[in-house]
Amino acid sequence: MSAENDPAQRVAIGISFGNSYSSIGFTTGEGKAEVIANEDGDRQIPSILSYIEGEELHGGQAKSQFVRNAKNTVAYFRDFLGKEFKAIDASPCHESAHPIEKDSTIAFKVKDTAEDKVNEVTVSEITTRHLKRLRNSATYYLGKEVNSAVITVPTNFSDVQKEALNKAAKEAGIEVLQFINEPVAAVLAYDARPEAKLADKIIVVADLGGTRSDVAVVASRGGIYTILAALHDYEVTGLKLDQVLIDYFAKEFLKKHKSAGDPREDARGLAKLKLECESVKKALSIGTSANFSVESLVGGIDYTATINRTRYDLLGGKLFSAFSRLVLHAVEKAQLDPLDVTEVILAGGNAHTPKVASTITNAFPETTTVLAPSTTPTAINPSELPVRGAAIQASLIQEFELGDIEQSTHPMVTVTPHLSHAVGVLCISGDESTGVFHAIVDAETPLPVRRTAIIATPREGGDVLIKLAEGARHIKITKPEPKPKKEKAEDDEDDDDSDDDDSEEDEEEIREKTWKINNVLSEAAIRGVKKGGKVEVQINIGADLGVNAIYREVGGKGGVRGIIAGGKAANGSA
Amino acid sequence: PVLPAGWTAEKDFKPIGHLSHATDRNIEPVGPHFLAHARRKRHKRTFSEDDRI
Repeated sequence: MSAENDPAQRVAIGISFGNSYSSIGFTTGEGKAEVIANEDGDRQIPSILSYIEGEELHGGQAKSQFVRNAKNTVAYFRDFLGKEFKAIDASPCHESAHPIEKDSTIAFKVKDTAEDKVNEVTVSEITTRHLKRLRNSATYYLGKEVNSAVITVPTNFSDVQKEALNKAAKEAGIEVLQFINEPVAAVLAYDARPEAKLADKIIVVADLGGTRSDVAVVASRGGIYTILAALHDYEVTGLKLDQVLIDYFAKEFLKKHKSAGDPREDARGLAKLKLECESVKKALSIGTSANFSVESLVGGIDYTATINRTRYDLLGGKLFSAFSRLVLHAVEKAQLDPLDVTEVILAGGNAHTPKVASTITNAFPETTTVLAPSTTPTAINPSELPVRGAAIQASLIQEFELGDIEQSTHPMVTVTPHLSHAVGVLCISGDESTGVFHAIVDAETPLPVRRTAIIATPREGGDVLIKLAEGARHIKITKPEPKPKKEKAEDDEDDDDSDDDDSEEDEEEIREKTWKINNVLSEAAIRGVKKGGKVEVQINIGADLGVNAIYREVGGKGGVRGIIAGGKAANGSA
Repeated sequence: PVLPAGWTAEKDFKPIGHLSHATDRNIEPVGPHFLAHARRKRHKRTFSEDDRI
């Protein structure tokens, strides 16, 4: 393999490499991300390899070998890369080839050649073979030799793991341009759509996968993303949802066939149950009922049954609410309130489950949009989110020199001061206690930043005082008793007219977002504003916390500009 | 808000406080807007300089 490809000759794809499934994607000439199906027609390609008489099976074909050839089938290996044997949890591999310790790494004992000999294949070699197959599928589809990729990884993937993955990819003929975090890839997949509008928002990405669930809270500020908190859980997972169905059907089977053994205690019976239950789960995400049917489940007995969605929602209820608790916990970890969350992006295969989406929707206020197929018609397929993000990133950086990418992703560039409080102007009144705060730059915005907002002035016009202040978001809890005193909640959007009209809040609303003004930065005067005129405020905040503000009447000339020295230079301010 | 009578300041601008300290966080090196940010940072350009190019 060449050490580095010439950027001009790169064919880059996006790869999402998961424990359960992987997918590949590319970006079309028109800048649209597309997910590539492999030769079997799968867009979600199981991350499984199986060997039968020296032949290598991959993806869906390897998955069906769980039943007959489990020992020579390798699955759920992504999280073993770059790990020590004692640090891994091998339980998902219980029904397939077991991981073993080999030197300082992990290997699988499989008969991967035509000879009747068991070889120890390291996890990195397995990964290489898997990536090679993915690369080949992409090459067949595109008709061009694929030689580089952007690969998504979980946020808690260590540098050692990334290094191991990089090495395995290189062996597979793939130059890794960049590793990007799975939740950020999901956000990018949404933001890259042509209809997407750039806005400052807090996004929660909840990825409900097969062997793990990851939740990340991301601040999106002008299209720049910062992860505020991340949570990883290995208990509330898709495999556990499968288990719920396995137990249900096994019990139903035992009721009908009392003499037959428990299919869960038979290795093949269990493997058949697992495969069928996963497809039943998928069918229940689309239809309201699904058929379960396995030939010769155990003791030569065929078993068929049906299940409807309501029953499944009931059976999985505990897991669904556990998942929604996990999401709320992540919000708490970021020291935020559900009211602060603008969007929840559901990712991962199990996000297709309508009950998952509805449980999470109920956990958040109405102002939060939950992006899942069952709640938002325009939602992107949750399984395809990371790979789409990776494909977009690949197309963005494909022309760059590898050195340039490394320099740009260096902490020198990525570690950036973030505003600890929102900065905005006081509307209605100059007094801190009665004024209404209009946030222009939100908290957690990376510096430097430049924002412009247009604010309304008093209706009668005249001379106007503009007060720049720092505001802290405060959750106000009003009891819905006789006549609750309402303080006006300010939505931090750019719509300027809402400052004037006293829109009443919903009567039942108990918790609301308000602003506390805790630090006035400057005052400025604009004289002779026309009746009903508006003032444009532009503020630039430097990395040194210096503020450069410009105020100008819309359509007017001149304006006022002022500079506030950086807080870092003049420490000791109140 | 209406300007109180008798309010004056040099060039009509009066600085009062400073921003409270910022927190250092890692931004995600992903997406077109990050790439623009990295370009500015590496070439030490400001927003308006960047606009001109």
